[in-house]
Amino acid sequence: MTIDRFLQHRASSWMTNEGEHADIAMSTRIRLARNLDDFRFPYVFSADEALKIDKEVSAALLDYGEELGHRFAHIDIQELTHLQKEILVEKHLISPYLAQSEHPGSVLLSEDEDLSIMINEEDHLRIQSLQPGFQLQEAYERANQLDSMLEKNLNYAFHEEYGYLTSCPTNTGTGMRASVMLHLPALTMSHQINRIIPAISRLGMAVRGIYGEGSEALGNVYQISNQLTLGKSESDILEDLQSMTEQIIEQEQKMREAIRSRSPISLEDRIYRSLGTLMYARLLTTEEAATCLSDVRLGIDLQLIDDVDMSILNELMIFMQPAFLQQFTGEQLQPKERDHARAELFRKRLRQEKSINHTEGEDHV
Amino acid sequence: MICDQCKERQASVLVKQHIQGQMIERHLCHVCAAKNTGFELLSEQDPLSINQLLAHWFPGGNASVNRVKQEETVCPSCSLTFSRFLKLGKFGCATCYEAFAPQLGEVMGRLHNGKTRHEGKVPASFGQTLAIRRQVEELRKQMKHSIEQEEFEEAAKLRDEVKALTLQLEGGASHDD
Repeated sequence: MTIDRFLQHRASSWMTNEGEHADIAMSTRIRLARNLDDFRFPYVFSADEALKIDKEVSAALLDYGEELGHRFAHIDIQELTHLQKEILVEKHLISPYLAQSEHPGSVLLSEDEDLSIMINEEDHLRIQSLQPGFQLQEAYERANQLDSMLEKNLNYAFHEEYGYLTSCPTNTGTGMRASVMLHLPALTMSHQINRIIPAISRLGMAVRGIYGEGSEALGNVYQISNQLTLGKSESDILEDLQSMTEQIIEQEQKMREAIRSRSPISLEDRIYRSLGTLMYARLLTTEEAATCLSDVRLGIDLQLIDDVDMSILNELMIFMQPAFLQQFTGEQLQPKERDHARAELFRKRLRQEKSINHTEGEDHV
Repeated sequence: MICDQCKERQASVLVKQHIQGQMIERHLCHVCAAKNTGFELLSEQDPLSINQLLAHWFPGGNASVNRVKQEETVCPSCSLTFSRFLKLGKFGCATCYEAFAPQLGEVMGRLHNGKTRHEGKVPASFGQTLAIRRQVEELRKQMKHSIEQEEFEEAAKLRDEVKALTLQLEGGASHDD
C-alpha cells in the first residue's frame, strides 16, 4: 500500500452514514495513549530514540498485525510533502501536531482507514479507532484489541499507581480519550447549547465545536469527550459518555420537533435555500458551505430532502477543506479561487448524486 | 511579551477569567483577544492549557522566581526539573513520575477530580507481577499479625510462602509445571 491510496478523493469507512443514531451522531473515536518504558517521551527525546521507537512499534505491528485481520501501511511523515500532510490532517488520519513535528514520526494506517497508530506524536503511540455513527463500545473493542496485541511485543510504561504513563498528566491512567461527533443544529439555533456546554464540563466531560474557532461551531458540529482518565475504568468512562451523549441526542430530537411544529415554513425555506446555494452557487466560503451543509443534513433527517445521500455530505465536509481543494484542482489556490473551486466541487458532487438517484428510479412519495 | 495563544504577535490585552474558582490571567494580542469574547474555549485543543493550570496552582514552581533556590527536584533519567514540568505541563519520561512523586498526588488530584489511583486496564504481563506483589503484601500483614499473636508456626508457614513468591518475582517467569 502506498501513500497515494490515502490521499485519494475517497471517503474513509467511518464517513459512511451507518451506526446508531447516525442522523445526529456522525462518528465515534477512541484514542489510547501509550509509551515505551525504555525511551524518553517525545518532548525531550533525541532523533535517534525517535527512530528506534518507530522501528520497534512498526515491527511489532507489521509482524503481528495480520493476526487482527488488518493490513497496515507505514507512512513516514518526514517523507511527505506539505500538501500530503495537510490532506491527512483534513481527513483526520493524523493530528496537526504530528504533521508539524520536527522529529522522526510516522503513522500506521489500516486499509479502510478506521484504525491507526501515530508514532511519536505527543506520546510514543497514539492508537486510534474510528467508527461511523454512535458506536463507543465497538470503537473501543477495536482499539483495545490492537492495544492488547501490541503489549505482548512492546514494553509499555505502566505504573502500579498511575496506570499508563503519558507525556501529559491529563492523559495519565487509562490514556483513553473517547469522543463522539454530534450534529446539533436545533440546540444551536435555540441557543440551548450554551447552557449544555458548561453543565457537562462540571461532570468531567467536554463539548466543543470542531472545525471552528470561538463559540460558533462550524456547521453545528460538536465533539463530546471524556476529560478524566485517572481513577475511572475504561468501561465506566464509556458508560458515562454513552449516557451523556444519549441525553444530548434526545434533547436535540425534542428541539427539532419543537422548531418544526412552531415554524415549519421558515424551517423548510431555510433548508431549501441552503440546498439551492450548494447546488448553484459560484463562490462558497468554508463558513457558508458548512452552514448550508448543516441545513441540508437537517433536511434529510427531517425527510424534507430525499434525493441527496447523507454520506455525500460527510464526504463534502472533509473534501471542502483547503488542501483537498488544492488537490482537486491540481494547483495552488488563493482564497478567492478556493471559494470558486469549492462551489464547483459542490455543484459537481450534488448533481452527480441527484442524477444517479433519479436514474435508479427511486420511488418518490 | 508574546501572546499566550498564537505565540506570534505581541500581547496587548490582559484577560482575567474565573474558571472553576480559579482566577486565570492570560496575555493576548489584539487578534486573539477579539476572537475570545465571552465564555468560549480558548483554543481548539484544550479548554485551558495544562501548563497554565499548573503554573497557576503551583506558583512556587515558577523557575524564574525560584532560580536562587537549590533544592529543585530533578528527574535522574531525563533531567527534567519539577519547575520545568510545571511550565511545560508535560513529563519528560516514565521516571519523572517517580522523581516527582511527593508533589504528584496533588497535581493528579487537581486534574482528575480528586482521583490519584489508576482503575482499569492493566497490561497482561504487568498484571501477573502486580497480582503476586499484592499477594506478598497481604501475606506479610498476616505474618506480622501471627507473630503478635505468638502463633509462630503459622508465621513460619507464611514466611515460606512469601519467600517462594518473592523468588518467583525475581526469577521473572513462574516455574510451575
